[in-house]
Amino acid sequence: MNRELPITAVQEALRGRWRLWAPVYLVLALVFLIGLVSTALGLIVLLRVSQNHTPRYGDIVEHFKYGSIGAEQNSGIPYRVWRALPRLFPEAFEQRDDYAAFGFLYENDADDRPRDLPIGIARRVYRGVEVVWFNCATCHTGTVTVPNAEDKSHVTRLVVPAMPSNNLDLYRFIRFLLDSAADERLSPDILIPAINQTGPKLGRIEEVIYRWFVIPALREGLVTRRSRLLPLLDKQPPWGPGRVDTFNPYKRIQANWPMSSLLPEELIGTADFPSIFQQGPREGMHLHWDGNNTSLAERNLSAALGAGVTPESVDHAAIDRVADWLKSLRPPPSPYRTDAAAAARGRDTYMKHACVACHGYQDVQGYVFKGEKLGQVELNYDPKVEPNKQLGTDPRRLDSYTERLRDFQLAELFKGTQYQFKSFEKTFGYANLPLDGLWLRAPYLHNGSIPTLADLLEPPEKRPAKFMRGIDKLDPDRGGFVAPACDDPPPAQMKNFCFDTGLPGNNNTGHRYGTNLSPAEKSDLLAYLLTF
Amino acid sequence: MNQDVIFTPLRFRNLEVKNRIFRSSISGRFDNEDGSLTQTRINWECKFAKGGIGAVISSYVPVLMEGRIIAGYATVHRDAFIPHWRKLGEAVHSFDCKFIMQLSHSGRQMDIPGVHNYTRRALSSTSRKETLHGILCRAMSLPEIHHTINAFARGAWRAREAGLDGVELHAANGYLFTQFLSSGINDRTDEYGGSLANRARFLLDVIQAIRAEVGGGFHLQVKISAVDHNNVIPWEGKGNTLQESVEVARWCEAAGADAIHVSTGSLFPHPLNPPGDFSFETMASTYDVAISSGVSTLRNYYLFRYPVLRPIFRWLWFRMKRGRPVEGVGLDEARAIKAAVKIPVISTGGWQSAAKIRDAINSGDCDGVAIARSLVANPDLLRFWAAGDDLPPRPCTYCNRCLLNAPKNPLGCYEPLRFPDHETMVEQLMTVYNTHPELRVPEPAEVVP
Repeated sequence: MNRELPITAVQEALRGRWRLWAPVYLVLALVFLIGLVSTALGLIVLLRVSQNHTPRYGDIVEHFKYGSIGAEQNSGIPYRVWRALPRLFPEAFEQRDDYAAFGFLYENDADDRPRDLPIGIARRVYRGVEVVWFNCATCHTGTVTVPNAEDKSHVTRLVVPAMPSNNLDLYRFIRFLLDSAADERLSPDILIPAINQTGPKLGRIEEVIYRWFVIPALREGLVTRRSRLLPLLDKQPPWGPGRVDTFNPYKRIQANWPMSSLLPEELIGTADFPSIFQQGPREGMHLHWDGNNTSLAERNLSAALGAGVTPESVDHAAIDRVADWLKSLRPPPSPYRTDAAAAARGRDTYMKHACVACHGYQDVQGYVFKGEKLGQVELNYDPKVEPNKQLGTDPRRLDSYTERLRDFQLAELFKGTQYQFKSFEKTFGYANLPLDGLWLRAPYLHNGSIPTLADLLEPPEKRPAKFMRGIDKLDPDRGGFVAPACDDPPPAQMKNFCFDTGLPGNNNTGHRYGTNLSPAEKSDLLAYLLTF
Repeated sequence: MNQDVIFTPLRFRNLEVKNRIFRSSISGRFDNEDGSLTQTRINWECKFAKGGIGAVISSYVPVLMEGRIIAGYATVHRDAFIPHWRKLGEAVHSFDCKFIMQLSHSGRQMDIPGVHNYTRRALSSTSRKETLHGILCRAMSLPEIHHTINAFARGAWRAREAGLDGVELHAANGYLFTQFLSSGINDRTDEYGGSLANRARFLLDVIQAIRAEVGGGFHLQVKISAVDHNNVIPWEGKGNTLQESVEVARWCEAAGADAIHVSTGSLFPHPLNPPGDFSFETMASTYDVAISSGVSTLRNYYLFRYPVLRPIFRWLWFRMKRGRPVEGVGLDEARAIKAAVKIPVISTGGWQSAAKIRDAINSGDCDGVAIARSLVANPDLLRFWAAGDDLPPRPCTYCNRCLLNAPKNPLGCYEPLRFPDHETMVEQLMTVYNTHPELRVPEPAEVVP
């Protein structure tokens, strides 16, 4: 194309000026273009990043099992990674493509299709990425296998919300996650193909986001948590299914105290998951195994912190909804059909020997929250009396909750909000707990060191020293779950964890009440206890 | 009652003017592209002659085609135009009015260059482009300077040959002489730049050349800017001071000038010359004819065109006016020059009130005043004064719309407040064309195929 010649001197000068300034204009145009594109990208990213939503469930049981309490934002695992992990770590997942190997429970949905996430795992889209993590049901939904009412040769496995998660081996799951942070299989080059094989292929942008942001952030978070938790876990015997150390992780994660500042005797606070039925009547009682808090709301928030929420991310409404429901949720009635006369005699023994004072009692209508010392605990330290001397059960859980931790909780947690903790207190014994739903709360005592009610009525030396945990089959005679000795061949297809009462924190001593009754009295008392 | 000083004659060395009022230089695009004047121009100048003023100072008359500010103004660069100018002189004289030709050269202040100047940069003292419009220029060589000096002398000679009453050198308002005089513009290193004497050399050379060409008996006055105020664009130098201009006036007197005409500003238009308002809407409707004239004109057009940008120019323009009167804006400077020279001094700048003019002359600040806009509004202004009025019933408002319209539209008063409606205003504008030309069939030899 022939360019027209300039007519005026001004035109010629302007052409010269254009030649001179063209690179500048070009750069400016480029800068403008880049600005435009980055603004657009920025807006898209902003829209993505500002996303924070979670499914809401109309049904309260669904909400309890699958609804979010706000733990995903800071503790969660991206859903796509969650799905890919079983493929990458078959040895940890026992070759399954789900999380059942750790004791997570899977159900079918309303249309009878298997759910992609187990009970106790909630999902949330946060910063454009779907993440999953714990809720209340993680630790408080268990199973019990009972014979069919009509056909005794068949069994039914009931999923019972609010009973202890007797299957979940949280220790193994957490250790697996922490170890995976240091595993090359969590590097993007290996993880992304696995993600693509376990769901729809990531889009180009999605892949970039996962490669450069999501996966590094996940590893970063896991590495940090690993550095905080692993030194602690290394000091503890594996918890086994149905157990957790509630308060020690606080000291490392929230308080970030150095390990060297923790005393050896406070390092093992492993205890059974509690049941959380009928919370309403418990308001004002000393909650937690050591009774260190009398406020349901605080106890709930504290538990939520344990599940992974932070004061910023916590979803109070979701937690309140669960709490309201739990206030009046009754445990399913005991399936045991004991001899009524024996149970009546047992009831007399129970009343006569003042069991009722500490533990309330079972009536025909159900459990009655009445007893002089029900929900009470030793509050004052008497230097002349060894704490917990009277009960004599394993002291480790009691010792794990320290004055120092209490001070930290009151000073730092939910600081400056209406939720700031104020009711925690250090106690000097284990609380006298109500026994509602006793039949599905085995193994017994705070540390789950006694497999059956019958064993509990035996003196410590006669109680099983080593037994299997994690079997949800009811023991038809002794109350509690079947717990074969560790030496016996394990029942087929049952996960087995040998619980050794000789390990620190696992001691099965104490609570000698009833151990010196006659065999007949014990039998009657057991018949009564099985109705709880 | 003594005789009104306004109506007393003003005697110059070579010229007597019947009163103290001069029509200051102002022009529309009345003339032919080749520089020959038209009947319209004769009509224009006669409006004022008939109105009773003492002398008409012609519009800007280029001595060379490369010195035009706006194509369409009559020039005096050819002997062939002498008869045209003679006709114009006769017409003005018929109203007992003198006619002084303003000899000019635009230098770089070439608002509408015209086809002759399209392809070349304007000539100036400097190669730095004009500041307001970005009009391109280059520094004149010495031969070009000498050529231009000679052109002025020839221009003066032609004016005398045409029977006109004198010439005025337009050494004010940013045109070529100012470009040499002003320290804010002249960046030469030869004998025409540097010291004030060097910067004034071009003007003094021209005066001498004219005297050599036409002798000492022909009226020659010099219009200078007393203060440059060259920093309308804030980063430009301020230019010449009053003291420097007083010195220049003295030198002009010594070189043979018969009078000094005192104005202000080193560019035109300038916030202080002509003083008054600035109509953005008018500029937005007329400045388009100048967009192709400079490299900054498009930018300026946007500044005028878009209300959101106007505050920028408004600030530039009006910051210099603060605290200054419109009428007699240059009287202080005229007084200073008057005190320094023996020849008469004419002041320009917003004059309209008879009382103020009377005071200025009576107090010896100046000998006469030059008026343009107030006479455009009321060409018969002196009739009101003679009747004892201080101001006409519909005085000039100093809106400056006449000036801002000049590059594009017929010259006249554009102040809507002075007319009952637009049609009346247009009628007034058309009066300058109210003529009965004797059209004739050209001789065959006159027609160029």
